[in-house]
Amino acid sequence: MLPKAKNEWTVEEAAHLVRRAGFGGSPDQIARIHAMGREAAVDSLLDPDEPQDAIPLPSWYNPARLAEEQRERLEEMRESRTEGRSMTAAERERAQRMARQEAQRTARQRLMTASAWWFDRMMRTRAPLREKMVLFLHDHFATSSQKVRQPALMMRQNELLREYALGDFRKLTHEIVRDPAMMLYLDTQTSKKGKPNENFAREVMELFTLGEGNYTEKDIKEAARAFTGYTVNRFNGKVSHVKFQWDSGSKTVLGKTGKFDGDQVVDILFEQQAAAEYLPSKLWMFFVEDEPPKAVVEELAEGFRASGFQLKPLLREIFLSRAFYDSTVIRNQIKSPIQFLVQMCKELEVPDLPGGYEQLAQRELGQVLFVPPNVAGWDWGRAWINTNTLLSRYNIAGVITQGAVDAPGTEGGGENMMDQMAEGGGPGMKVVARLVGRNMRDWKGPDYEKLAPRELRKDPEKLVGSLIARFFQSDPGDKQRGAFVDYAKSKQGVVFTNHEVAELCHLMMSTPRYQLC
Amino acid sequence: MKTRREFLRSTMLGASSVWTVPLFVERTFADLHAGAKDLATQAVTGKDDTILVVLQLAGGNDGLNTVVPFEDDAYHKARPQIGKKGKDLIRLADGIGLNNSMPTLGRMFKEGDLAVVQGVGYPNPNRSHFVSTSVWETADPQARSNTGWIGRYFDNACPGSDPTVGISLNKTQPESFGAMRNPGVCLSSPELYRWIHGGGEKAQAEQFFESLNSPDAAVDGASIAEPSVGKVGGVAGESNLAFLERVAMDARVSSKKILEIASKHRSKVQYDGTPIARSLNMVSRMIAGRMPTRVYYVSHGGFDTHNRQANSHDRLLGQLDGALKSFFADLKAQGNADRVTVMTFSEFGRRVGQNASQGTDHGQASCLFVAGAPVKGGIYGEHPSLTDLDRGDLKFNVDFRSVYATVLEDWLRTKSQPVLKADYSKLGFMG
Repeated sequence: MLPKAKNEWTVEEAAHLVRRAGFGGSPDQIARIHAMGREAAVDSLLDPDEPQDAIPLPSWYNPARLAEEQRERLEEMRESRTEGRSMTAAERERAQRMARQEAQRTARQRLMTASAWWFDRMMRTRAPLREKMVLFLHDHFATSSQKVRQPALMMRQNELLREYALGDFRKLTHEIVRDPAMMLYLDTQTSKKGKPNENFAREVMELFTLGEGNYTEKDIKEAARAFTGYTVNRFNGKVSHVKFQWDSGSKTVLGKTGKFDGDQVVDILFEQQAAAEYLPSKLWMFFVEDEPPKAVVEELAEGFRASGFQLKPLLREIFLSRAFYDSTVIRNQIKSPIQFLVQMCKELEVPDLPGGYEQLAQRELGQVLFVPPNVAGWDWGRAWINTNTLLSRYNIAGVITQGAVDAPGTEGGGENMMDQMAEGGGPGMKVVARLVGRNMRDWKGPDYEKLAPRELRKDPEKLVGSLIARFFQSDPGDKQRGAFVDYAKSKQGVVFTNHEVAELCHLMMSTPRYQLC
Repeated sequence: MKTRREFLRSTMLGASSVWTVPLFVERTFADLHAGAKDLATQAVTGKDDTILVVLQLAGGNDGLNTVVPFEDDAYHKARPQIGKKGKDLIRLADGIGLNNSMPTLGRMFKEGDLAVVQGVGYPNPNRSHFVSTSVWETADPQARSNTGWIGRYFDNACPGSDPTVGISLNKTQPESFGAMRNPGVCLSSPELYRWIHGGGEKAQAEQFFESLNSPDAAVDGASIAEPSVGKVGGVAGESNLAFLERVAMDARVSSKKILEIASKHRSKVQYDGTPIARSLNMVSRMIAGRMPTRVYYVSHGGFDTHNRQANSHDRLLGQLDGALKSFFADLKAQGNADRVTVMTFSEFGRRVGQNASQGTDHGQASCLFVAGAPVKGGIYGEHPSLTDLDRGDLKFNVDFRSVYATVLEDWLRTKSQPVLKADYSKLGFMG
């Protein structure tokens, strides 16, 4: 066990837990967590009182309805085949193209609602650690809808990750091996006896369980043979193991020999010491710091193995460790784009974003839910930040705080900016941009009467102090504080309207410091 | 237009007596003084100097179906379904044909403006996309280096230069730009590459913004002599905050200039609507605007063709060809064709044999292109044998660092040894 932190703690430490083990919160939410004491606060995150089905799934994601749809589509295909006989080749091709386009349009819309649903869930959930773990697992078992192209399967995987987010990691890995979205993503379904596809076996070892350097090319080739014969029905996502396409011969993987199938290979992987260390080390990087100390990883690995690869005790050990609350750890993590967006909304106490805007913003900042860049997931930490994404963060903060909605260059309610953000976003993004432009006008934005009561505006020092507590939850230093106060004073004239407060909030967020959590 | 150089001179010099200047700024500042004495510093970022465009084919391009050994029986035997026939190719040399989705490159080859480098790779290849991409971008076959080869070029050969010495047309920074001091800048849409603030008192807001986005006195700077850390370079021991402050300053300083140029220069040549065409169009506008940029980086993705490769691979090559066609025509119209060389790369080639899904799996050696008017066209390196294989993969005969060495020495005109940490024989495709 790692050395534990004592139960007494500061509000700043509570805010740190709320940010890292979730997506941050309002000052009230942080105060509530702080009042619980450290142990109870961590337990409340690990045992959320919100069941997995508490938040209704997107309306189209309904197994009965999807099955009905499949039947209809089969029927349509049969009909069109009959009709097709009386058509010319050109007519037939045109009909097929239209059907394809229609299907693509539906898929695109569904994926957007799936993505909006998950983002909304992160904002609303009373089980923030579970959602943060789903995000971690989505990165760990990265699967992109760009290749899978079936929103229902992406949603199904998302629900699977949620089911195991605080559960049994070994079991989850077994499930992922036969998860239809993952299989389509890594082309497992075409891996057959005699012609095994090595890709899947490689990623299972390199990215899912052991990490690079803990296996040989030979292990991959042999394991690839074990993973043959799994097929997925593209139409309904049904997975089966086809015996005659499976290589039933003897294989040697990591020193063990037998007529293994995929499940048995996964079990062998979990017998390796590397499997006990790999995930704890990644979790430490995700929740704590960029470079996990060797001793920490060894400690965590011991507990992880002893518990049979259970995530909950592992997370408990992390969030109760003294190291997690070290002063070098607090406020020294660069927010991921999702963290940046959700945390900002929580700090501004806005319940939602203008419909579709979260998608444009994700694209701009380099992290689109359901579309990780490749099977290794996103690069985290400093890789989120470059001159481009930093300016984009500042400008998105301008839109969400409403500190810059009518800035020069964004005439027309910011639609121009939306169009430019959508530029290069592929099919559908222009449509989203127009939609966002409309939604933006109806969106209420933050309630500055509540965030910065009129009374408070009379005293710039106090106003700034209150907003700093809200957005930074720690002291940003005299120079920064002084600049904010000076700005507030410069705005404190005859009127100090909500717009001036919005500008001040925007300025606070347009700083390097605000990018840290 | 304030360059970082001017910014540092005017702001930091005035402030240095009051603030404890973070070390990285101080060192850069020292470089500036050295640079002022030695005009060579200015020359490297000169507005008329040579320009390299690095074009990444992400996902592992199948070199065998790009530059095809169409008379080799072993090729057709290994690829019964996806193999290309001679009649479907643009003939480059005896037995070697270019994928016919690339008519522009075919024409450039005939005109002597395209170098095809064959059998490029590195020892002990790694078939992981990520590791192998790191190898190429860091020029380190162990993939252990924290800086990229282009970043090291900036650090070594362009001291004190403006952050726009390198521009990546990506939302994220490529590993090859990882540098100790100056990693260049990234931008995807120049119109949004600025701080947008509301309210009437814009100048006043910007003043506060600038002050809040200047290196902070309270932050510990780290010594630039330390090795760098992390995937994207940066200074060891530097806190994330110090890192963010550095990026913030670069963003602020480069934004005005880029915005001005992007609004001024439009292309007369038509470009396709593909992302790669849009990126190259942006590059041409920056060049037309006489940015001091030496290296541009653009990316063209989708080459991970495990499954039914034939159509998608041809389409990707066609998009590349179409984009390059407009780009080179545009440069010619601007009168900048002689200043620009394009070099492609991909993390690895594919297996010789097709897989059961009519795709190809991760392999080793592959070909790459170096294109442009300054290039001495032709075929470089040997087409690797299709029968003498390394576990089903082509063996490389040109170390990729030889390609870098050629570009660095004969095009960017700098010593390659400090960048590549060793000497590599040059290939002669640069004039």
